[in-house]
Amino acid sequence: MLPQQIHNYVNRFFRENNCQIIDDQGHYMRIQLTIDMDKKIMNRPYYWQYVESTDAVPCPAQLTFITDVTKNKEAVFGEVIHYGSRRLDQLFQVTREQGSVVRMYERIQRTDGVTIVLTPWLGVNFKVTYSSDQTKESLYSLGMNLMTGQMVDGFQEFLNEVRLDAKTSEHVFNLPYTIKPLRALGRMELAIMDLIKQDDHSWIEDVHKRWKKDRNVLEYFYEGVEERPDSYDVEKKAMEEQYEPRIKIEIVNGGLFYLKAMQAGY
Amino acid sequence: MLIERSSNWKESFTERLEKDDGWDNWTLYNMAYEVAKSTLITDFRGLQSPNYLPNLTPFAHQLEVAETVIERMNGKAILADEVGLGKTIEAGLILKEYMIRGLVKKALILAPASLVNQWIDELNRKFHIPAMQFNKKYDLNHCDIVVMSIDMAKRSPHKERIYEQDFDLVIIDEAHKLKNHRTKNYEFVQHLKKKFCLLLTATPIQNDVFELFYLITLLKPGHLGNYETFQSAFSASKHNVEHEEFLRELVNQVMVRNTREATGIKWPDRHVEIIPIRFSPEERELYDMIAALKEHSDVFSDAFSVITLQREMCSSKEAVFYTLMNMREKCTSAEDLAAVDCLVLKLQALQMNSKAEQALKLIRKANDKVIIFTEYRATQSYLQAYLYEKGITSVLFNGKFSKSKRDWMKHLFQQNAQVLIATESGSEGINLQFCNYVVNYDLPWNPMKLEQRIGRVHRLGQQKDVHIYNLAVEDTIDDHIVELLHTKIGVFEKVVGELDAILTSYKMSI
Repeated sequence: MLPQQIHNYVNRFFRENNCQIIDDQGHYMRIQLTIDMDKKIMNRPYYWQYVESTDAVPCPAQLTFITDVTKNKEAVFGEVIHYGSRRLDQLFQVTREQGSVVRMYERIQRTDGVTIVLTPWLGVNFKVTYSSDQTKESLYSLGMNLMTGQMVDGFQEFLNEVRLDAKTSEHVFNLPYTIKPLRALGRMELAIMDLIKQDDHSWIEDVHKRWKKDRNVLEYFYEGVEERPDSYDVEKKAMEEQYEPRIKIEIVNGGLFYLKAMQAGY
Repeated sequence: MLIERSSNWKESFTERLEKDDGWDNWTLYNMAYEVAKSTLITDFRGLQSPNYLPNLTPFAHQLEVAETVIERMNGKAILADEVGLGKTIEAGLILKEYMIRGLVKKALILAPASLVNQWIDELNRKFHIPAMQFNKKYDLNHCDIVVMSIDMAKRSPHKERIYEQDFDLVIIDEAHKLKNHRTKNYEFVQHLKKKFCLLLTATPIQNDVFELFYLITLLKPGHLGNYETFQSAFSASKHNVEHEEFLRELVNQVMVRNTREATGIKWPDRHVEIIPIRFSPEERELYDMIAALKEHSDVFSDAFSVITLQREMCSSKEAVFYTLMNMREKCTSAEDLAAVDCLVLKLQALQMNSKAEQALKLIRKANDKVIIFTEYRATQSYLQAYLYEKGITSVLFNGKFSKSKRDWMKHLFQQNAQVLIATESGSEGINLQFCNYVVNYDLPWNPMKLEQRIGRVHRLGQQKDVHIYNLAVEDTIDDHIVELLHTKIGVFEKVVGELDAILTSYKMSI
């Protein structure tokens, strides 16, 4: 992420969270936090406990973020924020918490009074991590039509082309789903397992080779030792943690979407 | 193979469905997806960490080390770059990479007490890693990246508390301090679980090849065989190595080492010379008297005490005095006492010191800042007095000084004095790039100590060529030390790799 992208990200993040941008100079910005945001990112629970128990006037923090130090000619005092900085990591984390589950409706603008029918979809973004002593990740964005059970990949990209609102438009009829969302989620998880199965897993063979090589070395060291000391078990356990192949399936976010399309596809 | 699923999202989804309320913001939803996409690690190989460290510009050799350790050595390695090439940066890059990839959540860094703060500072400032100093009041379950001294870690109750933790990565700085497998330090590290482990040392061999054996055994037991097979395969005598190509190959599987020359960074040259010194007849007479002591009496029959006295005689009479007076107390027979007293009288009558005169010449010739290393405190004081008489200002330095006194002495040297006189224990942990002359007034037995000394001035930041003078008195024990140093350097180069010049700029073939 370039400084400009980070600037836009931070700016958008605080605006979406109803924090006032007091000053925005393109390479730095000053932000008035809301009480909620202060509690989320300022890590001062005792202050808030004190304010709440004494009915004191709350004073949420004002922060200055410098997103491009090279342009900071006027030497503004503030927190430098860049890719990899702990503050940005924290904002990413809060974003994920705040943008986890949605319900959205396709925006319909009609004046002829004809009722439009919207179909319910479940959309979920999965992150799959392969790990041993090395890691690799993939994203899968699945969508399922909750009337027909049709499932598609690349659903998030499809949604990017649609105008969505948090509230349903006028003259719209939202079909009640016939497949329950949680059942659909279960089917998606099976589909993810299928996708994983079809993937190339030579990495697992490679890990087992590395592991076996190290195990042989260790056995060689203790060859002929009748009673193996603790350090042998410690080493063996460390090796297991180092090499055992693992596949982790996480959900980034997801939600219900009411769309005009009966079939999402290209 | 394990499959892990997280059910958090399903729970919050269910909850919103039931309440039909509390749906999140669409813009933040999209932003979260964008973040997931832009931070996705799509390849097992390659380094992510440089993208996360825009303010750090690592050297090519440092990035290469990080990649090699992670991809070829599976995260267990000895980082053995020459002094001053940034082993801390390499270790930081590796730690950061593992943290980004989610493979390391908890890490333990063991460093000498004097370097603990430096580690914490570098990890926080350069790598944005929230490292903290160990404190017995903290609950280790809540401390992810802990830095502490090994001397503290090995003691109860800290030891037990550390063993209880699941550290994913253990980093040990100045790992050559673990060369002796009979120490508590070694034992402590041996029983520590090491999923990923980095041992940092510029000098994996100090004296003999067994030190490297024990270091590698700590990292990967069995990699060099067990003790018996190693001994029979590689050691005819302590200071020679057979099958060195084979050993070197094995060592290179777990050790990475860059030399200054190989880094491609422009380094100031290092000129190293042995300066031979001839004793005056009076000094020679005394030296011979000392050598003859062992035929004289039981008190001096122990070869080691005579060697000590001989080495001291090659340094200063003040150094001899100190040891000799201690030995005198053990003398019982009148004859022994007479021999010692005769020596003492002659020492007192001695008016000159050829080595000190030579050192003075070198200082005058340099006409610049000079560091003198000596092995003896008595010589240190003598030299200061001697130089003062000759109108040369100097400050003293030794390893027992506190941090603030060290800083003050360094400051005095930089601002006011021409010469810094340091004892051996002063050769670690100070950086003196503003000085480019080093006089090794006495030679240590261990060549890596010389390298450590030179490393104080010949490091990143040095602007000028560096001149090293090794003083050795002809036809004395000094000759023997020089010879042994050559042999040890030979072993190091055969097994570990090239060394920058330590003794002379001309290579001696062994």
